[in-house]
Amino acid sequence: MLSLIWLLLALFVAFPLLMLGIRAATDNGTFDLMPAINALRQTNTLRAFLNSLLLATLVGVLGTALGFLFAFTVARARVGRLMAWLLDTATLLPLISPPFTTSIAFVFSFGPRGFITHGVLGWENAQVYGLRSTLVAEALTYFPLAYMALRPMLTAIGGNLEEMAFSLGSSRWRAFRTVTLKLTVPGLANAFLLLFAASLADFATPLILAGNDLPVLPTEAYLQITGMFDLKGGAVLSLLLLVPALLVFLLQRRLVARRSYVTLGGKGVRASAGDSVTPKLRWVLVIGCMLVVLFIFYLYGLLAYASAVRAFGANGTPTLANYRVVFTQGMPAIRDTLIIAAIAMPLGGLYGVLVGSLVGRVRGGQALELVSMINYALPGTVVGIGYLVAFNTPPFLMTGTAAIIIACYIFRYSPSGIRTTIALLAQIDRSIEEASTSLGAGTATTFRRVMLPLVLPAFFAGLSVVFIRSMTAISATIFLVSIHWTLITVRILENMTELSLGPAAAFSIFVIVVVLVVTKGLELLLRQLSGRSAQLMMVERE
Amino acid sequence: MVDVRLEHLSAEFTHPSRGTVVAVRDVDLHVQSGELLTLLGPSGCGKTTVLRIIAGFQVPTAGRVFIDNQDVTSVLANRRDIGFVFQNYALFPHLTVQENVAYGLRVRRQSAADIVRNVEKVLQLVDLAGFGPRLPDELSGGQQQRVALARAVVIQPRVLLFDEPLSNLDAKLRVQMRSEIRELQRVLGITTVYVTHDQEEAMAISDRIAVMDQGRIAQCDTAEELYRRPASSFVASFLGRTNLLDASVVRRDGDRVILDMEGQCLSVEASAAFGAGDAVRAMIRPEAIGIGPAGEGLRATVVTRTYLGDKVEYVVRCASQDLHIVRFNPTESERFTPGSEVTISLPSDGVQLLPGN
Repeated sequence: MLSLIWLLLALFVAFPLLMLGIRAATDNGTFDLMPAINALRQTNTLRAFLNSLLLATLVGVLGTALGFLFAFTVARARVGRLMAWLLDTATLLPLISPPFTTSIAFVFSFGPRGFITHGVLGWENAQVYGLRSTLVAEALTYFPLAYMALRPMLTAIGGNLEEMAFSLGSSRWRAFRTVTLKLTVPGLANAFLLLFAASLADFATPLILAGNDLPVLPTEAYLQITGMFDLKGGAVLSLLLLVPALLVFLLQRRLVARRSYVTLGGKGVRASAGDSVTPKLRWVLVIGCMLVVLFIFYLYGLLAYASAVRAFGANGTPTLANYRVVFTQGMPAIRDTLIIAAIAMPLGGLYGVLVGSLVGRVRGGQALELVSMINYALPGTVVGIGYLVAFNTPPFLMTGTAAIIIACYIFRYSPSGIRTTIALLAQIDRSIEEASTSLGAGTATTFRRVMLPLVLPAFFAGLSVVFIRSMTAISATIFLVSIHWTLITVRILENMTELSLGPAAAFSIFVIVVVLVVTKGLELLLRQLSGRSAQLMMVERE
Repeated sequence: MVDVRLEHLSAEFTHPSRGTVVAVRDVDLHVQSGELLTLLGPSGCGKTTVLRIIAGFQVPTAGRVFIDNQDVTSVLANRRDIGFVFQNYALFPHLTVQENVAYGLRVRRQSAADIVRNVEKVLQLVDLAGFGPRLPDELSGGQQQRVALARAVVIQPRVLLFDEPLSNLDAKLRVQMRSEIRELQRVLGITTVYVTHDQEEAMAISDRIAVMDQGRIAQCDTAEELYRRPASSFVASFLGRTNLLDASVVRRDGDRVILDMEGQCLSVEASAAFGAGDAVRAMIRPEAIGIGPAGEGLRATVVTRTYLGDKVEYVVRCASQDLHIVRFNPTESERFTPGSEVTISLPSDGVQLLPGN
């Protein structure tokens, strides 16, 4: 079993990367770095590289700040049930939406015919494209990752330490500065890196919002390949993207591996202290969060509105025409997407549980985990071009099939399943298996009656993430679609470039609804099967 | 010298599912200066809430808190000059032992030289000299406890507050640490309020104990008075083991009454509150009851006998009531096996009368 997994990893993780490198460094079968160096020396390449880093840094800072605001508010400001629900929903929506959603809504809001720019302010030809929109759209899309990472940390630091500082005579601000903030530094760094990586890899947002003045690496690589049919140029650009991405990945692993302070003295920790913020500050926090939440809801509301009118900004007559387009011309894409998702989902779930259970129990488990994370850590552009290069020729000719898309999903979106399995198994003592054996159960029975129910949540986490991403991914699969197999996300992109904004909005709404229904269904099914209520962990970036 | 006074203190919470919960009801308490007073009670009795209100972590719904005759009810915790020791120690995990202890001194803007000197002195006091550069998680539980203690006393607080400080330690260390805490408190003479649910710990450490039940102070007195003369059956059964026997008063005889207990007459000390015909409950400690071979007197049947080395514990049935009896230093000949008939003798002092049902 282990060797089979290694074989699969070699084929679907290592081989495409190797082929990508070879492609970039050879010309007509001979080793030649000159074309690659020439490509690098183009000023546009350098600009795209620097833009990518700049954008990722800004998104990292802004997104971490937003995430901290949300996490701190939830952990300290004693928000009510309604408020908590609003915050949860506002942070969940961006994570399960197609990657364009925020960008499209930005165009509806701030574009030439935008609700605010044109409708409210009456400007003609407002300029939505550029760094500012891209930055804000990406920060809104990815800050939930920072929120999810920071919230448990802030809750765990808890009230006791702050109260302690307080009782020793500190002011609230000093207690916050010397205790809370100090202890959150590793978490903030981690959140920054998460967002940096997400922004670095983001393809959809800059494609729609960056405009001509802000070339970034993923979009440049895409245009190089699809616009100029220059596969080598694309390969070189994607390798350029790989360097900072790998660096961030390794940095983040080190950061997380370093023992966190927070676990100390876990017993008797009070859930939260209401007194660590003054009533005035509490209102500032709540209002700050509500503004962000309202803005997110406003964007989604705008999207829903645009999907149900004849022509956004020009003709507000309600119509179902856009949805008719979705279910007629869009039908092949929907069918293909659902078939691919239906196949990738169980395979991905199984793969995650399998790798996860091997990691803790075999020699070389650490290496297995590291390698299995690579495709997820890399920007989709790198993986997509890698697959395109590697599976274009015999003996592994897969271009144009559904299999290549499915393989891409399985090996790219399994980390949730793997990590949840590892975490669950770490909680299960070896003696549980021994207890089952001592009661007379065989290996098969032990696995079926004891181990399987215990790792079931991990399997479902894997299922839901693979499904969500099958419905929403684009950065890698844009290179893998064909006449035979296409995807909803690719259709949305085509609609956007054809300026059929209505159908694009309708498609986005359709995807969000399907994802919500299926993930809720999976959650219910898991509850039925395991008898426990479990919130599925389905937060992974694209 | 500093005393702490609580007047008509009440605290309510809004619980998400249970609605309004009253944690503390009309508590009056006077902690004398230099005294170690323990709040003792089962979990949920409100003792920690009272402590947190004294600290200033929580605002009472009603009532006032005085420290050193000064109303501090609305003073924030960081202006009250208190030392607090948490159950989980709440050591700052990112600071060394030295920095943890120095934290309060830094806030008070002591000079660097003073800080070094004071920290060194207090670490010596808690037997942790040389541990300054370590991080909290490099210390054992007992050592962490000492750091928490040092950090609380180094600022020379007006009041020391302990919230179940020993409950994360193993039994042996608990006994050792509680005498160290007591010793330190005596040496420093700081007025102290100590919260625990462990009655033995409370008795070992306290000048006085306030037993709390459902948000109220059931009784506040020295350990000996509480044990000998509990004011209610709750206090009686919370401190040590006890027998509560139904009886009725036959007649009054000076400051004593004659009781009818299972047909046997018994003359016991009683307050004027009890008169002829009253139904009462007689509280008798297991070690006060005598047991002997069947003969004249109150007859009983042995139900169980448990040999524990330095003592033997019996459960005997006397009419319809079960009685616990403890015999210390039992002789080898004393073997009343289950099922055997015995005579038990009830003492005339050491019986405390409580109102009957």
